[in-house]
Amino acid sequence: MADLGVDIPGLSMSNPLMLASGIQGGSAAALHRVSASGAGGLVSKSIGPIPREMYPGPVCVEAMDSVILNAMGLPNPGADKFAEVVKGEEFAKPMLVSIFGGDAEGYVEVAEKMANAGASCLELNLSCPHAKPGSRALIIGQQPELIREVVAAVKGAVDIPVYAKLSPNTTNIVVEAEAALSAGADGLALINTVSAIEVDPFAGRPVIGNLLCGMSGPAIRPIAQRKVAEISLAMRRGEIPEVPILGIGGITTGLDVARFIMLGASAVQIGSALVWGDVDVFAQIESELAEFMAQNGYPDLESMRGIALDSLEGLS
Amino acid sequence: MTLRASPTNRPQGIDLEALADGCCDRLAASYASRGMIASPTPVPLIEVQHEAGGVVTLWVQVPPEMVSDYNPGQYFMCWNPYDATGGMSRPNYHSEKPYSVGDVKIDRTGVDEGIAADTGGEGRALLGFTVKDLGRQSGELTRMKAGDWLAIRGPFGTSFPRMSSGDRLLLVSGGIGSTPMHMAARDGRRKLGDNLKIDAIMGFRNEAECHFISRMEALCDSLTITTDDGSSGTPGFPTGPLPNLLSGVGEGDREEGGSGRTVLLTCGPEPMMKAVLQMAVDAGVECYAAMERYLPCSVAMCGLCMVGDKLTCVDGPVMEGGWLLQQDDFGLSH
Repeated sequence: MADLGVDIPGLSMSNPLMLASGIQGGSAAALHRVSASGAGGLVSKSIGPIPREMYPGPVCVEAMDSVILNAMGLPNPGADKFAEVVKGEEFAKPMLVSIFGGDAEGYVEVAEKMANAGASCLELNLSCPHAKPGSRALIIGQQPELIREVVAAVKGAVDIPVYAKLSPNTTNIVVEAEAALSAGADGLALINTVSAIEVDPFAGRPVIGNLLCGMSGPAIRPIAQRKVAEISLAMRRGEIPEVPILGIGGITTGLDVARFIMLGASAVQIGSALVWGDVDVFAQIESELAEFMAQNGYPDLESMRGIALDSLEGLS
Repeated sequence: MTLRASPTNRPQGIDLEALADGCCDRLAASYASRGMIASPTPVPLIEVQHEAGGVVTLWVQVPPEMVSDYNPGQYFMCWNPYDATGGMSRPNYHSEKPYSVGDVKIDRTGVDEGIAADTGGEGRALLGFTVKDLGRQSGELTRMKAGDWLAIRGPFGTSFPRMSSGDRLLLVSGGIGSTPMHMAARDGRRKLGDNLKIDAIMGFRNEAECHFISRMEALCDSLTITTDDGSSGTPGFPTGPLPNLLSGVGEGDREEGGSGRTVLLTCGPEPMMKAVLQMAVDAGVECYAAMERYLPCSVAMCGLCMVGDKLTCVDGPVMEGGWLLQQDDFGLSH
């Protein structure tokens, strides 16, 4: 039986399958529900300084096979309410608390409340607009100087490990990874959703209530794998510090997990797959991964990690 | 019915009937591959039927198999992509909300002769969403007109248990909770004929809000109406006459060849459903509620429709009564 255990900063997990942020995990009840499944770890919904309501619907649709579109609008109970969840609840699985803010001060405010409540690690959702005038057209994750500012501020305020979640909607993701790592990030999570829009030709308007949306699902998996590969290669070459990578994007099977691990990821996050199988997908993907590793002679995840990068070494 | 060309910037002189048929064909292809419509898809609104004060049934045209496959209790997400003028000047005005089907009609030449027999040979397969004006989104839907377009996706969620010959169905509704109860009665009668005993209680605030009465009278062995203010039927809540139905359970209901199972279904405000389910459980009667919660995504993504450790969108809306009664967050007003 292959060993699926993962031990990275703040996260000691029985398997590498984590819930992705934004899926179900905004309340104690929802997190307990996922915790009782086969998931190895949890990621909360992104928590902001104050409570936020959902955007008008449709907020999440399956636009075509393998394509999920969503614009929920970062609905969350707010830092004070969620701090009670972090402090008062015992979850069976380790939890990465995802946070966001309008600026560095906003991130620090939420980070301190979560750390004080006992959070073991944080994920910074950098895919939100900056409150600074003139910065609204771009998200923080598209502006390396703002990534550096936010990550440095949070790292300066709390002692727990911090993972920076990167957007794929940039020119060269190694630039954003470098910004996060130079500011002290302990790990990277990628990718967030791919920016998208869908039009209903009969209605003559976008399908999603918010008009603009993010794309996820199996169709974005090769894109996510490419981004993970680019960052892993930069780490191998010594261009950026080597830290754990959480691979995210369209994972629905155990073989998909192996693909991300082979490109250098230490663990993965799973979100859209729940549309087709709810939380039961975790146990199914775990058994597929274990079977694949046993059949192919991989005793543990480390023995498989990064092996697909070997054939890419010559690329410059 | 004359279809309107909304949105307003659509070119003039197009064949709208052909457009509607095209929509229906597209829907059929999508439905055939998945057994559901995954993305909001416009369907023509054929008829708006006035039911009572603030309550209408929106009849939309869909492929016949979507009508014959529909299991009572399941819901669709419904969205009017246009604003009140048929234009799109307020794109965020309408949200998308879950609605259960209140009634169905299908062509005699359709795939299901059982349904066709009692619809008088309508020329199309129609799903009827019965909507009550309870807020901005549902209010806009009740003001829609024949010829408008409604975007739907679904069906989603769990459905009521399948009944067998010799069984007995007890239906208890409050207000617009009438819709899945009517479909349960209609489906049971269609499939089992006189071999299913159906007794129903329908509660309303007042006489003006009473709806589905004649249709339910035609389907049920007994129907009791209650109104909060006593303006029609028995004064008070549906829990008032319920002991009369429950007291008969197990005594003489069992008929030869049937399982003799008695099942209570309820839909309405949660405090009412809680009281009804408690009475059923106390009487030893198998029971289920069709739950309504704030349900933004319908696909187990947003996690905002939790009841206990379950999601209303995929583990519901039909949930087992005994389990519901054990949940701290069940039975409050929403």
